[in-house]
Amino acid sequence: MISLTSPVETRAHQWPAGLKLGLLCFVTGLLFITDHLIFHSVFLLAIVVLYALPGRAFFKSGWQHLKILWPFVLIVVLWHLWTDELQRGSIIAFRMMSTVALANLVTMTTRLSDMIDVVHFLAKPLYRSGLNGRALELAIALVIRMTPVLVSKGQNLTWAWRARSTRHSGWRIILPFTVLALDDADHVAEALRARGGLINPEK
Amino acid sequence: MEKNIAYTALFAALIAALGLVPQITLAFGVPITAQSLGIMLCGTILGSKRGGLAVLLFLLLIAMGLPLLSGGRGGLGLFVSATSGFLIGWPVAAFVTGLIVEKWRSASITLVASIASIIGGIIVLYAFGIVGMSIVLDKTLPEATALMLVFIPGDIIKAVIAGFLTAAIAKARPASLLSRSAKAA
Amino acid sequence: MNKPLEKPITQVTKPITQGCSIHLDEVCLEIEGKQVVNKLSLSTTIKRLGVIGRNGSGKSTLSRLLSGLIETSSGHIEVAGINPFKDRKGALREIGLLFQNPEHQIIFPTVIEEIAFGLRQQGQNKKTAEQNALQVLASFGKEHWQNVHTSALSQGQKHLVCLMAVMAMKPNLIILDEPFAGLDIPTKKQLRRYLDKFSGSLIHISHDPEDLNGYEQLLWLEGGEVAALGRYEEVLPRYLNEMDTLGDSDDISDLAS
Repeated sequence: MISLTSPVETRAHQWPAGLKLGLLCFVTGLLFITDHLIFHSVFLLAIVVLYALPGRAFFKSGWQHLKILWPFVLIVVLWHLWTDELQRGSIIAFRMMSTVALANLVTMTTRLSDMIDVVHFLAKPLYRSGLNGRALELAIALVIRMTPVLVSKGQNLTWAWRARSTRHSGWRIILPFTVLALDDADHVAEALRARGGLINPEK
Repeated sequence: MEKNIAYTALFAALIAALGLVPQITLAFGVPITAQSLGIMLCGTILGSKRGGLAVLLFLLLIAMGLPLLSGGRGGLGLFVSATSGFLIGWPVAAFVTGLIVEKWRSASITLVASIASIIGGIIVLYAFGIVGMSIVLDKTLPEATALMLVFIPGDIIKAVIAGFLTAAIAKARPASLLSRSAKAA
Repeated sequence: MNKPLEKPITQVTKPITQGCSIHLDEVCLEIEGKQVVNKLSLSTTIKRLGVIGRNGSGKSTLSRLLSGLIETSSGHIEVAGINPFKDRKGALREIGLLFQNPEHQIIFPTVIEEIAFGLRQQGQNKKTAEQNALQVLASFGKEHWQNVHTSALSQGQKHLVCLMAVMAMKPNLIILDEPFAGLDIPTKKQLRRYLDKFSGSLIHISHDPEDLNGYEQLLWLEGGEVAALGRYEEVLPRYLNEMDTLGDSDDISDLAS
């Protein structure tokens, strides 16, 4: 499964993921405490520049992810036009776009493997209170492995429906789909047990 | 132990798959995706702990940058957007839904699962969602509620469907209905 | 990779019985950059057509193209006089498709619902559909199956339910995508008997030529193209020969480019 990390290499790809995430939290907090229109406008502009720096492909891909915000931007603008508080509305809209754009920037410049490392690092205190690190690792790998498998089974089911109906399959497909997922879960559990189970020699 | 991991991971994958197979929508004219139905099913089928964990795992993978949210969305941006409250509320919704199904044994599973889905998948979930939206859009809670009201009827229908689906699963795979089985390994 | 094959025979020497007509004209299908079907052209009218080829040769894809579930990238398809992708109503009337894995095909919890489903989609109301579904069960001697849960059936029984569900819709053509895969010998024999009862045309896809014994014509697919189309007695020995030769090679090591 392809992650949302951008194939366009930037310098940020090399920075440690933990650092990026920490900075993200800090800056996002800052954005929420600040209330100046000029600050938010300039900040948003700066982010747009950041997106443009790595080139057209990067910018286009980033824009795709931000386009989905438009209904909320519209609601805010219309609402505040109606209550005659356009300045307040602009701050809200800019802030929303900035925070989402910044967070998305981190996603686009951080590799999945680096993210997984951060997760393990953050989960360390939980290991002491009983969370099995190997289990977490395995669970992540399983979801990545099995999602495409389930997607293709779901696709087959929709075809089986369309082979006998001109109507939309709707929710009825979800029953056999769920049964398939449950059966796969049983098989996977069996396969895990057959290969030694969850004995955890490393920790 | 292996069963826990397998079931949790497969249901996380199922939630993803429900959002990624384009033709699976609950179209009553409007294409409503089936992913939130999957959240309810995590609770009604897997129970509170495993159901909650499955959704948490799903969120973790989205946060790490995998495009598993319906329509192929993903990434950290989703967790600060206007609907982030709903995302954060999902595992809680699954947990509460599962808890009700586990504890309330005296009525038919269809009824229990539907009501559990309404309480967990709508009431609890919308609480989180509305708070999140009010923060991001800087609106009061009643204002944010008004914005979200339009989605509730559709979600009630989803909850009822979840009830029927759970009952059908209970018949087809009774051993897999972890929310009602004795403490599994 | 693909060895150049002998010049393919694309003419049927003698039409044996009138059946369903299929016309493919330079059909191409590209999936995610890969050319799955490459300028496939064939024209035939046959009661019993077998489709053979290695796994990955495009047989399943062909079944989905012929039943109109997927669209061609280019080229022209006509099955039983209609374009099955564009004319879904006509396709549902004329063509039935049996998938390889009944787990991916059975949608409903009980047998009667599964069989009645197609009938309801064809426009019958609930009562009529149920009655007709019962009739289909009766013609197979399986009335006692009506309320059985589909998940309680054996592998072979599930295949049979799928077959009944498709036959209930009374198509003129049934396309079978490896319907006997993974079944034991007695089950295969029994299912084949049920299949032989069908009075319409059959297009039977299999990688095991044993299943196609008695079929008039064979279509041999290789790499999304026609390797041969002709009488069973002519195509089969060449196919078996080629498969044997390939078995001596090690192309299992080749990764997809």
